[in-house]
Amino acid sequence: MKDVMGIIYTGEGDAQLRELTMYRAIAALPVASRYRIIDFLVSSMVNGGIKNVGVIMQKNYHSLMDHLGSGKEWDLHGKIDGLHILPPFLTRENVGLYPGVLDALRSNTNYLIRSKQETIILSNSKIIYNAKMDELVRFHRDSGADLTLLYTTDENMMKDESGTYLSIDDNHTVKDLEVDPTHPSYSNVYMQVMVIRRELLRELVDKAVAHGLHSMDRDVIQRLVQDGTAKVNAYEYKGMCWNIDSVQSYFKFNMDILDNSKRKGIFREDMPVYTKVRDEMPAYYGNNCSVVNSLVADGCQIEGVVENSVLFRGVKISPNAHVKNCIIMQDGQVHEGAYIENCILDKQAVIKRNARLIGPQAYPIVIAKDVVI
Amino acid sequence: MLRKKTCVAMLLAGGQGSRLGILTQNVAKPAVPYGGKYRIIDFPLSNCTNSGIDTVGVLTQYQPLELNAYIGSGAPWDLDISNGGVFVLPPYQKVKSSEWYRGTANAIYQNMAFIEQYNPDYVLILSGDHIYKMDYNAMLNFHVRHGADATIAVRPVPWEEASRFGIMNTDSEDRIVEFEEKPKNPKSNKASMGVYIFTWEKLRHYLTEDENDKKSSNDFGKNIIPNMLNDKQVLVAYNFNGYWKDVGTIESLWEANMDLLQNPMPIDMHDKKWRIFARNPGMAPHYIAKGATVSDSLITEGCEVYGNVNHSILFAGVIVEEGASVESAVVMPGSFIRRGAVVRRCIIAENAVIGPGAIVGEEEGKIAVIGHGVTLPAGVSVPAGDQVDENYTF
Repeated sequence: MKDVMGIIYTGEGDAQLRELTMYRAIAALPVASRYRIIDFLVSSMVNGGIKNVGVIMQKNYHSLMDHLGSGKEWDLHGKIDGLHILPPFLTRENVGLYPGVLDALRSNTNYLIRSKQETIILSNSKIIYNAKMDELVRFHRDSGADLTLLYTTDENMMKDESGTYLSIDDNHTVKDLEVDPTHPSYSNVYMQVMVIRRELLRELVDKAVAHGLHSMDRDVIQRLVQDGTAKVNAYEYKGMCWNIDSVQSYFKFNMDILDNSKRKGIFREDMPVYTKVRDEMPAYYGNNCSVVNSLVADGCQIEGVVENSVLFRGVKISPNAHVKNCIIMQDGQVHEGAYIENCILDKQAVIKRNARLIGPQAYPIVIAKDVVI
Repeated sequence: MLRKKTCVAMLLAGGQGSRLGILTQNVAKPAVPYGGKYRIIDFPLSNCTNSGIDTVGVLTQYQPLELNAYIGSGAPWDLDISNGGVFVLPPYQKVKSSEWYRGTANAIYQNMAFIEQYNPDYVLILSGDHIYKMDYNAMLNFHVRHGADATIAVRPVPWEEASRFGIMNTDSEDRIVEFEEKPKNPKSNKASMGVYIFTWEKLRHYLTEDENDKKSSNDFGKNIIPNMLNDKQVLVAYNFNGYWKDVGTIESLWEANMDLLQNPMPIDMHDKKWRIFARNPGMAPHYIAKGATVSDSLITEGCEVYGNVNHSILFAGVIVEEGASVESAVVMPGSFIRRGAVVRRCIIAENAVIGPGAIVGEEEGKIAVIGHGVTLPAGVSVPAGDQVDENYTF
């Protein structure tokens, strides 16, 4: 995989994630007790043998840069290649604000030119997956395709009026492509992960941007399929995946991985997920605590009751506090006598003594970062 | 030419730690796991980093494989830097001789060239045997302020136990007037911690002199310190009052682990200004299942608990099956407690499997130990104080 590089685009729209993405990109969203979404994508690439990873940043990218640092945790801090952080910038031909992935790639043409690898895996940053990238690339090469799209048939990934859906023949060739249909007519969901030759990507990006086009799916891939000017194939990802595009789907992912088989589907022993280490001591469980069906990170101190919840590093649950169906991010606190249910507490949020906070299951309450209630 | 360093640390990590029995059969004592996610050596290494000492030589000799792998590039402790960092220093072959490290002083003597590279003013001597948080920089300032040739860290021990330690008798200005190894009638209760700071020029002189003395046992406590005292060099005692625990025996290792469950913790591990760093296994967060009960315990990443855990410490990747019960136990990385097994007052080393219904340890008495990678058959029981390796007969 020496001749494959990865590019992760992190500029997706995030309106439906409300407060959660007020200060961060979707890619930097904390998930599963100690990770950020981007950890899954970078780890997938690194586990597949990729040594050159570019991360295109757009808005609110401070926390993302802070998290990725030098790329050390992913072994991407070597002399040859490594992690490349690509923030937006202003020049004569670049306005700094990307309407879409095409414009972002156009602005980073220099990175594309300078990289040595012949093949690129281009990934979005809002779908959580853990794929064997080496197998994807092998399939791409063996099939002689110009473009290979990663897809899933997971029903949970289908959504009205959103997403790209593929019609595929027996030879894995993409015959048709629907973008944001009212009701999808195909059940193959494109995961916004593609394999393509570096030169071809540059060519397509150049041409599209020169014609004022912004959508990769609609303006580039769909045209290639319709015109038959390129061989577009599809490769099925059979593992677990989640599309994080709303507070509900964010909540669902975290609750889903309380299930053993789902958790083990994404945290595979042979494909570890790496993240920034915080050097906290192991979690402490007090004398009278009661914890069931929950994921807990290091540095937590639990003295109260915790049910069906996901606790991040350094969370404190005081005696007689009760936490049910909640996600509590880093350094959150729930004080004595408080009761919270169906809540998402962003970093350092504090629920004071005897407070009660119950959200509807279908629409969990989000408590923003640093808020004290 | 390397840039000059004010202080270089030398960590003596070559000892076997034979009193830890089967726990150190295949690993050196400093590599023994502690506290749910650490190894003993994390404490002196993190203390160095937190004290601003960024050049550390680790002297290894006994079973160094695991220790070498653990230290690696030194990245977990921020010791992977270009000017300084952590260096593993095993004994090596020389033109005229090749020999093992004969004693603590000889080990340093054999690595004088390493120290000279940095042309330091001071050398800090550490061991990998204790659990403690200490600011070596404060001790170095004390050394400089007193214009000392050597500073020895001491801590107060109960008078009735003083005769088990190396005791420093000091005057009112903290100057050491006499050193007594295990005195019958102690005149002071200040016990040496085995942490020394020497002015490098002086130490170099005494190491060379000691090496030429064929009768010497080449030991800091037995030879170097007494020789310096005889010569009326300035030796001062630096008082340390924090938590300090020797983990040289099975019982004391178990106790030191249990200390972390006290409320408040006698050693503050949550202090963000003095973190203890460790190499991270990179596993998923731990999971407590429905029906599990957990209390008064420390649990870390990769664990899965379906049974009962009380007053215990679980290291990374430990699985406790349904109906299993873990009580006052230290369970090291990757071990598996099967259905219905009962483990109590014991230490279970890495990657052991406790078969269904097996019983380890007793409610009272000495600590039982299950060795590295041992698989305990279903239904057997291991009495208090027994150590189980592959050759154990039930």
